[in-house]
Amino acid sequence: MNTIGDTRAAFMQSLMEIAAEDPKTVLICADSRLVVKGNAYVEKYPDRFFDFGIAEQNAVNCAAGMAACGLTPFVATYAGFITMRACEQVRTFVAYPGLNVKLIGANGGISAGEREGVTHQFFEDIGIVRTIPGITVVVPADPSQVIQATKAIHKINGPAYLRIGSGRDPVVPVDIPFQLGKLRVLAENGYDVALFTNGFVINRVLKAADLLKQQGINAIVVDVHTLKPLDSEAIIQILRRTRAAVTIEDHNIIGGLGSAITELSAEAHPTPIIRIGLKDTYPRSGNPDPLLDYYKIGITDIIGAARKAIQQKNLWR
Amino acid sequence: MKVDIQELEEIARLIRIDIITMIYKAGDGHPGPALSVADLITALYFNIMRIDPQKPDWEERDRFILSKGHACPALYAALARKGYFPHSDLSGLRSLESHLQGHPDMNKTPGVDATSGSLGNGVSIGLGMVLASRLLGKDCFTYVITGDGEIEEGVIWEAAMAATKYRAGKLIVFVDNNGMQSSGPVEHVSGLYPILPKWQAFGWHCQEIEGHNFAEIIQATANAQANLEQPSLILAHTVKGQGVPFMVGDNSWHKRVPTQEQFQEAMIALGGECQ
Repeated sequence: MNTIGDTRAAFMQSLMEIAAEDPKTVLICADSRLVVKGNAYVEKYPDRFFDFGIAEQNAVNCAAGMAACGLTPFVATYAGFITMRACEQVRTFVAYPGLNVKLIGANGGISAGEREGVTHQFFEDIGIVRTIPGITVVVPADPSQVIQATKAIHKINGPAYLRIGSGRDPVVPVDIPFQLGKLRVLAENGYDVALFTNGFVINRVLKAADLLKQQGINAIVVDVHTLKPLDSEAIIQILRRTRAAVTIEDHNIIGGLGSAITELSAEAHPTPIIRIGLKDTYPRSGNPDPLLDYYKIGITDIIGAARKAIQQKNLWR
Repeated sequence: MKVDIQELEEIARLIRIDIITMIYKAGDGHPGPALSVADLITALYFNIMRIDPQKPDWEERDRFILSKGHACPALYAALARKGYFPHSDLSGLRSLESHLQGHPDMNKTPGVDATSGSLGNGVSIGLGMVLASRLLGKDCFTYVITGDGEIEEGVIWEAAMAATKYRAGKLIVFVDNNGMQSSGPVEHVSGLYPILPKWQAFGWHCQEIEGHNFAEIIQATANAQANLEQPSLILAHTVKGQGVPFMVGDNSWHKRVPTQEQFQEAMIALGGECQ
């Protein structure tokens, strides 16, 4: 059922368009030019490309220095090497001074890291950047959304983190324009339960919603692509109507979408919420779909969680 | 406006008085490291750098990064005496209502070009500034002061590699080589020495000076400026606590607050007023 696209190429396509209009945009890599499919960019803008080699801390600090002088650097490499290897540089020298640096993290999630194993599967990146004040955090759904999201983070003046995938990423069949900080309703079968999701697992959620509908359970499927700033008001409104929710993400259940929604709910509208994601463990190598199924981020898991959330709602009455 | 060496000596004396007074009043801070870099900072702000305190955001200005941010009382005193903000602000060091943070903050303090303080990061931030200035066609230098212990950090050497790759001739780095770090002598804490051959091996233009001698600081900087093909490293031999005799040779002054008696003793040594 899935069409496969390429979020890495989509990012680069968008950056090429941005660079054509904004001469202050530069691309910074850490031996990651091929990872982010940067050959055409480098050919067209050789003076606006910097490869610092396998040295992410220096790459992020250089970006900070460049931004302090008026450039808009996009630092693009693997998600974990930005958010973990260079975490302190991101926090202290980009985010704290509020510098206009855009961080692009590839292989976001266990499915995008797929057969590489844990060293290249990044399921903590969102949790890490969410705890750092002052960074816009975006997890786009597919190539089309990546193109729009890249342009959107370029338009804001300040740090942003954008997650991309492996280059073999599912295309979401629902085409709703991307608007930074605003959730997207991808299916509105009803308000029995809300399925909050983002990133490369969305098609699984849409499929689960279809199957739930056949079983007489009507769900709303919500893409919360921007985790900071969170579209809190819209999320609370949905929680008020459904009074039951499931979060589904390709990330540790700690720190990412599940945390964002449950934290908001706990303070604003306490609601039974089941979190689906990697359950605080280390994954194995494997192809994306079997991998997600193995770690209980499968369609049947989503259906089961939706039923459980509704059950809890009924108990709460 | 450049001032001569005699006047630099006098400004550095006043800055040292400011450093001790700030830390005494704040009841917190790092006097030894600030005294160590006081002459380098004085030379940069009052003789070498092309800056305008009336226009702290001037795009063509030279940049300065105090990578060893804990020595910031020296930087704050220089900025105040240069006119970036009132001298009376110095008394607020590290207090909640002051713009003078425990370590430099580029958004809070006028004249601070880069946030700094966690060690090892200033050279790469400076490299970014040099590369950006080149791309934007701005004719300016970026100066960085690191500690010696600080260059134990790996990111320093990542920056050292990259600066050579990009022929960052307008990046001039001083290593404040006072031989001491937080836990003791550099040679006991780490395997850092020898310093200069490492930078030479990374392809930098290297010089070695006496870091409290203004003529040497100015001459070495001019030599560095004349070499636009290589980034420059100036290894400045300094003394932690320089100017306050009882702090010299006693590494407890890395971070320590003088008592009233010690404050008075320091003021007498520096020719300041014991208020």
